[in-house]
Amino acid sequence: MAIQIHRPPVETSDRIKEAILQAIPDAEVEATGQGGHFEIRVVSREFAGKSSLAKQRLVYRAIADLMQGERAPVHAVDRLETVTP
Amino acid sequence: MSSVVNEVERQITSIVGSDRVVVFMKGDRQAPQCGFSAQVVKILDQVVPSYTTFDVLEDPLVREGIKSFSDWPTIPQLYIDGEFQGGCDIIKEMYASGELHRALGLERVAPEAISITVTDGARTLLEDAQRRYGGEPLHLSIDASFGHSFGFGPAAGGELTVDVGGLSILLDPDSATRANGLEIATDTTPQGMRLRIDNPNQPALPSSALASSATGNGGGHGSAVTAAELQAKRLSGEPHRLIDVRTPDEREIASIEGSELLDQDKLAELEALPKDTALVFHCHHDARARGAAQRFVSRGFTRVAYLSGGIEAWAREIDRSVPRY
Repeated sequence: MAIQIHRPPVETSDRIKEAILQAIPDAEVEATGQGGHFEIRVVSREFAGKSSLAKQRLVYRAIADLMQGERAPVHAVDRLETVTP
Repeated sequence: MSSVVNEVERQITSIVGSDRVVVFMKGDRQAPQCGFSAQVVKILDQVVPSYTTFDVLEDPLVREGIKSFSDWPTIPQLYIDGEFQGGCDIIKEMYASGELHRALGLERVAPEAISITVTDGARTLLEDAQRRYGGEPLHLSIDASFGHSFGFGPAAGGELTVDVGGLSILLDPDSATRANGLEIATDTTPQGMRLRIDNPNQPALPSSALASSATGNGGGHGSAVTAAELQAKRLSGEPHRLIDVRTPDEREIASIEGSELLDQDKLAELEALPKDTALVFHCHHDARARGAAQRFVSRGFTRVAYLSGGIEAWAREIDRSVPRY
């Protein structure tokens, strides 16, 4: 008899937070959304003195795996806010 | 596999180098296929007369390749002078802060530096229209292709107000850069009086003889034809005139066989033609051609088109012997 362990699926928004925290450990991350579309807000000292492009790149690189391929869990980031505290 | 990757990289490098301003987007300038691409096109239309778009939906290899090429996971993507600028959010931010203007070498102007002349007849026409629209503020918008349009409505914020003898004209900051020396007068046509706008800032096209409709809806740009459709028209012998609205210098570099340069004399000749003459305008990409088509539509011509993608598309898709620049 096979034993099935049921557990709630990990929400994509949680995977986004986790991935960003791994790349930017001091970050405060908010991620909301559904259906592959997300809004992300990240606050980190890492952003200090960086251009918008560099700041957004830091975040996008962190979640690159989640955006890869046709069936990616993150289809689009509708809004990405990068804030220096 | 790696040779395919190299090939795509080479292709992307050449697209990026093909123009000062290049956008990788979904759809094209006339018909963006995603909201973010549409926002970028809307901003660029305000700031630059001509730019190149690449539709990633047409090419899955470029669609994936551009993401690693730019180290950026989303579309649209903007390049200026070969340098990656960012996606939709960043471009909106750059536009609002003036950074985009700086990157393009453009300057914003102060209202006191703008002088606009309005004849008494034109003022009466505009004031009458304003009364019909409940006294709402009068806006004048001049897009990067020098299409002029008037409108009435509340101020959106950020406009410059130019006072012309008691008549206030609101200009958004980009239109303002194209407004100095503007003359607004009237023409008498069989349909009645209409506004005529002379804009000395307009390059290439002789502006003095060209008019713009002030009806608000402007009458449209005419229709877009693709390079393949134009080729079909030519092969079938369907009568039309192909009008090149670029500068003589550009024409030296490359031209489409059978096309005619639009100079002052040509303009006078064309304007005297029957209004149902089939006209196709082309330029390097299509911004100037759209502007010219729009003006002929507003002059009452009924069969006006412009070549989508311009001589660049023609050289790429139809006649490879035409040099690209």
